[in-house]
Amino acid sequence: MSWLNILRFPGRSGLGIVPIGVPIVMFIFISFASPNFLNVQNLSNVNAQIAALLIVALGQMIVAICGGIDLSVGSVLSLTSAIIVSVDPALAVPLALLAGLVVGVVNGVGVTIFAVHPLVMTLATLTFLQGLALLILPVPGGDVPDYLEAMVDFSFLGLPAAFFWCLVFATAAAVVLRSTRFGLRIFAVGANEDNAARNGVNVVLHRISSYVLCSFGGVMAGLFLSARVASADATMGAHYGLESVTAIALGGVLLAGGIGSVPGVIAGTIALGLMTNGMNLIGVSPFVRAAATGLLLLTAISLQPRKAIGA
Amino acid sequence: MAERTEANAQDRPGGPARPIVEFVDVTKRFGSTTALGNVSISGSSGTVHAVTGENGAGKSTLMNLLTGVHRLDGGEIRLRGKPVTLHSPKDARAHRISTIFQELTLLPNLTVAENMFLGREPRRMGLVNRPEMRRLAEKALARLGINIPPQTYCSALSVGEQQMVEIAKGIAADAEIFILDEPTAALNAPEVEKLAELIFTMKAEGKLIFYISHRLEEIFRFCDEVSVLKDGRHVATHPVAELDREKLVSLMVGRELGELFPQRVPQQDPQTMLSIKGLTTNPFPPKVSFELAKGEILGLAGLEGQGQRAIIRAIAGIDPPISGRVEKTGDDPAQPISVRPTIVAVSQAGIGFIPEDRKIEGLYLPLSIRQNMALGMLREQSLWRPARIKRDEIETLLAQMRVAHADPRQPVGALSGGNQQKVMIGRWLASGVNVLLVEEPTRGVDVGAKAEIYSLLREFSDAGGAVLITSSELTEVLGLCDRILVVREGALIAEFDGPAATEELVMNAALTGTHENQELEGAA
Amino acid sequence: MTVMAKNSPATARSHLASASRFVLNLPFAYVGTALLLLFAYFTRPMLLSPLLLLLIVRQAAPLGIAVIGQSICMRVLSLDLSIGGVVVAVSYILTSGALPFSGPVLIAICILFGLLVGATNAFFITRMRASSVIVTLAMAMILTGVVISLGQFHAPGDAPEVLKFIGQKRLGIFPIALFVWLAVVIPAALFLRFSVFGRYVDAIGANPNAAWASGIPYVRVVTIVHILSSLFAVFSGLLLVGFVGVGSMDIGGDLALNSLAAVILGGITFGGGKGGVLGPAMAAFMLTFSFNLLTSLGLGEPGKLMIQGAIIAVAAMIYASRRNK
Repeated sequence: MSWLNILRFPGRSGLGIVPIGVPIVMFIFISFASPNFLNVQNLSNVNAQIAALLIVALGQMIVAICGGIDLSVGSVLSLTSAIIVSVDPALAVPLALLAGLVVGVVNGVGVTIFAVHPLVMTLATLTFLQGLALLILPVPGGDVPDYLEAMVDFSFLGLPAAFFWCLVFATAAAVVLRSTRFGLRIFAVGANEDNAARNGVNVVLHRISSYVLCSFGGVMAGLFLSARVASADATMGAHYGLESVTAIALGGVLLAGGIGSVPGVIAGTIALGLMTNGMNLIGVSPFVRAAATGLLLLTAISLQPRKAIGA
Repeated sequence: MAERTEANAQDRPGGPARPIVEFVDVTKRFGSTTALGNVSISGSSGTVHAVTGENGAGKSTLMNLLTGVHRLDGGEIRLRGKPVTLHSPKDARAHRISTIFQELTLLPNLTVAENMFLGREPRRMGLVNRPEMRRLAEKALARLGINIPPQTYCSALSVGEQQMVEIAKGIAADAEIFILDEPTAALNAPEVEKLAELIFTMKAEGKLIFYISHRLEEIFRFCDEVSVLKDGRHVATHPVAELDREKLVSLMVGRELGELFPQRVPQQDPQTMLSIKGLTTNPFPPKVSFELAKGEILGLAGLEGQGQRAIIRAIAGIDPPISGRVEKTGDDPAQPISVRPTIVAVSQAGIGFIPEDRKIEGLYLPLSIRQNMALGMLREQSLWRPARIKRDEIETLLAQMRVAHADPRQPVGALSGGNQQKVMIGRWLASGVNVLLVEEPTRGVDVGAKAEIYSLLREFSDAGGAVLITSSELTEVLGLCDRILVVREGALIAEFDGPAATEELVMNAALTGTHENQELEGAA
Repeated sequence: MTVMAKNSPATARSHLASASRFVLNLPFAYVGTALLLLFAYFTRPMLLSPLLLLLIVRQAAPLGIAVIGQSICMRVLSLDLSIGGVVVAVSYILTSGALPFSGPVLIAICILFGLLVGATNAFFITRMRASSVIVTLAMAMILTGVVISLGQFHAPGDAPEVLKFIGQKRLGIFPIALFVWLAVVIPAALFLRFSVFGRYVDAIGANPNAAWASGIPYVRVVTIVHILSSLFAVFSGLLLVGFVGVGSMDIGGDLALNSLAAVILGGITFGGGKGGVLGPAMAAFMLTFSFNLLTSLGLGEPGKLMIQGAIIAVAAMIYASRRNK
């Protein structure tokens, strides 16, 4: 199959002209608009900036493919940051993972067993966890365990650590989607849960697991980001929930479920990261950038109309 | 209810081997309607057992009990002599039962191979073994002689191809009991041949096949035994060799119509109320044109899924037509008004649509009976005005419709199916429309309520309205309608006068599409 | 056991059962308010003085007005999370002096602005069929982002006098804000209760598919609902700016979430097909009271957020499971 064919019949990858075209156009545009853009230092900056978003977006993608959405993942990121500077360094990572597990299960159970709308459910956990994070760590600061800092502060073959972490998580997500029963079955659940159930797929279990994986994404991003800035902040992840939704929507992941791919999410994340970086370089205020992200989000979801009207 | 019938007393078939599946006095209810009552049927290895009957006779319900989709309300299912409970499709699979569902269950975003092995993907070292999956899929497809690459996404397949994949998926399962639910509905002739070969091979391998169909020629060709169901009851089971076509048909139909249907009053000089001109709908390209007259009840008949639904929904503006026009005659008969095909415009033009599924699309279940009925009265009122609701009119209407012991403040969800159906029709009666489009007017309704619904529709048409119905129950179409149009593959292929039509005539036309070549296309 | 002894506890029990069922089926706001007042009576009795209670009512009024819009949105199975963004924008328009007009003209501009935002939300939700949560969250991001960036040129300043008057003065002991709240709530309640529009709102909430298939002007109703919601947000913003007296960049930031919590507490849920205006109004008071209580108990912002989140999650789960029964 030629590349052109893949673009025309994206199958369930969602990789169409838009997901692939937008980052390319942005890249070209910014390299003309700002001479500093193309230097190595800046490009590695871009990479570091988008690494955390990419990790979160990969988790968001898994939930979305399964037909859900998780706005709370940003708060999970913040909570992780708060936890790791507030407990014994040896316990930091296990505790953060445990928190992620609990959040994922709560979200999943609320959505599947209690049938609460995923947006309402995760909005609630988003708020709760933001409060919890602030309770644990009222003011930014603290000492991030050294071993975490070491893990994000190396470079190899001239490439920064962030690059390798992106590679690790993207590969892991791709393997999950392509080569595990879980990955295959969440596509089925997202496309039509009744038919998936008829084929013997345990819909509830897969839904809950997808939320748990998404929360783990939040935890990993929290570890990465805190280690990178060598300091914790309980509001660090505030924007990541919506930004990750923007990134996957740009990347061709269908928010109604059943369609999406890792390359698409990478493309969407790069598009968003380039926009942020480009605006930085041109000297636009961060608040205009937030507004632009909102516009981008509106555009991205308008490109994928649904049948239902409402939430 | 008189559930007990001669079914229990019926002769058990003496199959060639001991039965591996036995349904014993199986009963299944959906709410207040009994879908299956005390059905006892058994099937043996190495046979093809047909289960037949009219639409809604309970064939699919019976098989869904065996596939774990529905649970029993009474009786038991025995597999190889032992009683079993089947909680889910997964259970059924574990008992080596494989189902080829009537409605397609393939997921559009999975490839053919992925679909075929969903839920039981072959693995190697914990990961899905894709080469193996592809190999197995190819093998199963080859058995059916299908030439579809296993990596194709199912969304790219035609309906017939999907059906073949569905069959291939069913037979790829390592099972000894197979259920084929209307497997040929979407197949063309060569595909049916391939299926025939396959069925004979499987039979030779000692499998039991339940073959659900109302296509007589297939039953006579493929099957060893045939069980006939009617209205959820078991009529008879016979070896196919002992039957001929007429005998089988008489078992399937032949019910006395009694006083179920209201009197038809022949219309003098009928005046056209609705004319449909060159309508084409989504899956079906043929152009459809017909007229609906004042005082008339017109029925669209045919096998299920032949486009009746698409036609009535296109007129209603639910799924707007691809092309064509709908014109309604207003006060001035010389000036028909063209109706825009959106549901809001259609309703504003005085055309009401009553959907088949009253729970999903019809009623506001949490709202009270009164609120449901009142919503009809608002049709021509301004959004910003206080709602003018004539309560006494609602009470009169409810009494007229004989909605049993109804407190108008009761939520509609608490009513029986028949009464719910009446409230749904009543909402449109209260709204003052003069054309009704009714899908399956009596689905899931008991016999008593059926008669009342028929007379409601008849009163409506006698009072100067016009009714278009679709129905998969032939008796209903024959008893109720003044005129019957038979739909096959989206085209109108025959027209009958209501009183003159017989079940055999209509069925023949619906099956073969060769009713004296009475093509209606020319009228367009 | 004697007959007597068997009967009376049984009937008493059944009375108790039906009474508790009645209470359980009430919106949480009523029970919750009662419990909170009781709790305050034992721990912080001074919160219950009439003067303080009226102050809390005044504080609750902006939320109470925003809640009306949120509640109709939820009744048509939609949500409006752009309320906070609208309020920030209103505060900027009114107080920054970027627009050189008098108070009343600025208020008119705010109302027009609300119409525009509501119509934009509605366009994306009904025409583009995008998820209302995402559309309105994106709208909030855009509005907040733009306003904060503009704030670099014109910092927010004093509120127009007329709004300060309404927001801060009182008639007798009753704050004017309370009357404004009542003046908005009562007509809204009557309109929703008796108009054709209100009936359609109930119908869409009870079964959107049926509402669609029976020819109710679905798109029009949802569009109007979102416009109304933004207008209520504008009114809420006007009152809030008047109450605070000066504009700021983080004014009303928590209104969207609080209104969502209040609506759920007020007994409105997705797919219920019913819901009043009184329940959410009571819930607005309850939430404001609980925040005051929390502050007096020494719990700050984190506790507030946790309570908000827990309320939304728990109430939504209980309602959903009640409905599924």
